[in-house]
Amino acid sequence: MSELTLTNRRFALGVGIFTDCLKYFAWWIVAGVIAAIAIPLIVGQWADVNMSGWYHAGNVAKIWTAILAGGFLYSLMPTLVAVGVTRREIAGAMGVFGLLWVLAFALLTLAGFLAEHTYYDLLGWSQGIDQETPMPLETYGEVFAFILPYPLTYAVYFTGGALIGAGAYHSDAGWFMFIPVIPVGLALDDLLSKVDPWGPGWLVHFVTGRAEFSPWVAAAVAVAVLAFGVWATRRLIVNSPIRGKAA
Amino acid sequence: MSFAVNLRDVTLRYGESEALADVNLTLEAGKIYGLLGRNGAGKTSLLSLLAAFRRPTSGEVLVGGEPVWENAPIVSRVALVREGGDFDDSDSVKSAISTGELRPSFDAAYALKLADKFELPLKKKVRELSRGKRSVLAAITGLAARAELTMFDEVHLGMDAPTRDAFYKELLAEYMDRPHTVVMSTHLIDEVANYLEEVVIVDRGRVLVHDEVEAFQGRGATLTGPADKVDAVAAGLEVLAEQRLGGTKSATVAALDGEVRARAADAGLEIGPVGLQDLFIHLTDPERTGA
Repeated sequence: MSELTLTNRRFALGVGIFTDCLKYFAWWIVAGVIAAIAIPLIVGQWADVNMSGWYHAGNVAKIWTAILAGGFLYSLMPTLVAVGVTRREIAGAMGVFGLLWVLAFALLTLAGFLAEHTYYDLLGWSQGIDQETPMPLETYGEVFAFILPYPLTYAVYFTGGALIGAGAYHSDAGWFMFIPVIPVGLALDDLLSKVDPWGPGWLVHFVTGRAEFSPWVAAAVAVAVLAFGVWATRRLIVNSPIRGKAA
Repeated sequence: MSFAVNLRDVTLRYGESEALADVNLTLEAGKIYGLLGRNGAGKTSLLSLLAAFRRPTSGEVLVGGEPVWENAPIVSRVALVREGGDFDDSDSVKSAISTGELRPSFDAAYALKLADKFELPLKKKVRELSRGKRSVLAAITGLAARAELTMFDEVHLGMDAPTRDAFYKELLAEYMDRPHTVVMSTHLIDEVANYLEEVVIVDRGRVLVHDEVEAFQGRGATLTGPADKVDAVAAGLEVLAEQRLGGTKSATVAALDGEVRARAADAGLEIGPVGLQDLFIHLTDPERTGA
């Protein structure tokens, strides 16, 4: 960080958090990729495969993205303020981190889905994307269309996690806050996945044309949700005092 | 350049309780201050405001002549080091040190030199450090910050006596090399007394005393000599502390005017400076109502 100035600090910090995070979780990410590839191949030894491994990996990734955003923000707040970083800079750095994380994971998910489509084709399997009534992705075009909303979905989950992390730090409730938040969050996620048009599934349905509404409306709603989440998170960060240390 | 500090009518409340009440305080740039106070007096709250860890409920906090809250050019040159430091415990010591590089003024080479001097294991995780080593890590990040206002909040508590001594010497050497404003909050008063230029005593959320150390110590005196003569001169004075060894007695008195000083000299008593700690204990006695 020898070239660090106050002007570029929030960007450098955001990039630094992203690269540190990638390094820290490198083996977890590798394990996730291997699992997404290997599990269908193992299952395929005994039965026909009609589900995408990457569909499940993507679902895990969005929850993980939320936990990561909240956890990093919660633990980094006092450390960063203690080294003379302002809260506005922290909010900006989280934005840079989030953007890079979302892009990286969206690209990884896209690459995973495309590669999977290729070898599923070769093996004569169908790349289903719904647990209850598998809807196969027949062409590469359908794969692209299905992946299209993922960056927004990851961004919504990142922002949601960051909002919870900022709220937890601001409220000083600590980890006790997660006792209600985790089950409520998971239930909400489950509900959103199933209920049209409000779920993370809503984006998929809109963008792939399975819903009656325009994909542009869906994108606009997603951006509005994101904007509100970013605004609320930033406001919480900027107004949070740094807590006293336990004796 | 070092930072001056101004607090104007500052009040800080935590819910219903008042941590600081109408505090007005000016610290000149380029001096070493001792911030003293009993537990819960408001020392940490005061330092938290100066480092923009918190925002006052009312009033104005200026550092280097500017409001400190969310002021990047100022807070990047202000360092508040709390006991045990503010680290990510899962980081290695080396990584925790390099986090300090977010400050444009951070001197990484100096930090690593100090880490070597204080025998800090760079590869260990922060959570694996003993309390003493963790305090050393915190102190190192504070020194290497090369800040214009550096505040140590009981940071040396976990250190053993030789390490504390080495820390004080390093602090002084760094200060002589690069004059800046230093505030040391501590309970080990007599241990740091020789390093301080001014003392600020906070009591029950208010600034009780702000004075130069010598002037402050001049508020009292220690009389030493034959016990009967000490008793005679000290009669009617407020005695803060007494010590007796055989026929020799030493009494610390809160105030010594010219007349009593002359009587003490006539009686052949030795008149010495009063210990900072004795005066501090006296002034913050809950039975007292003010300085």
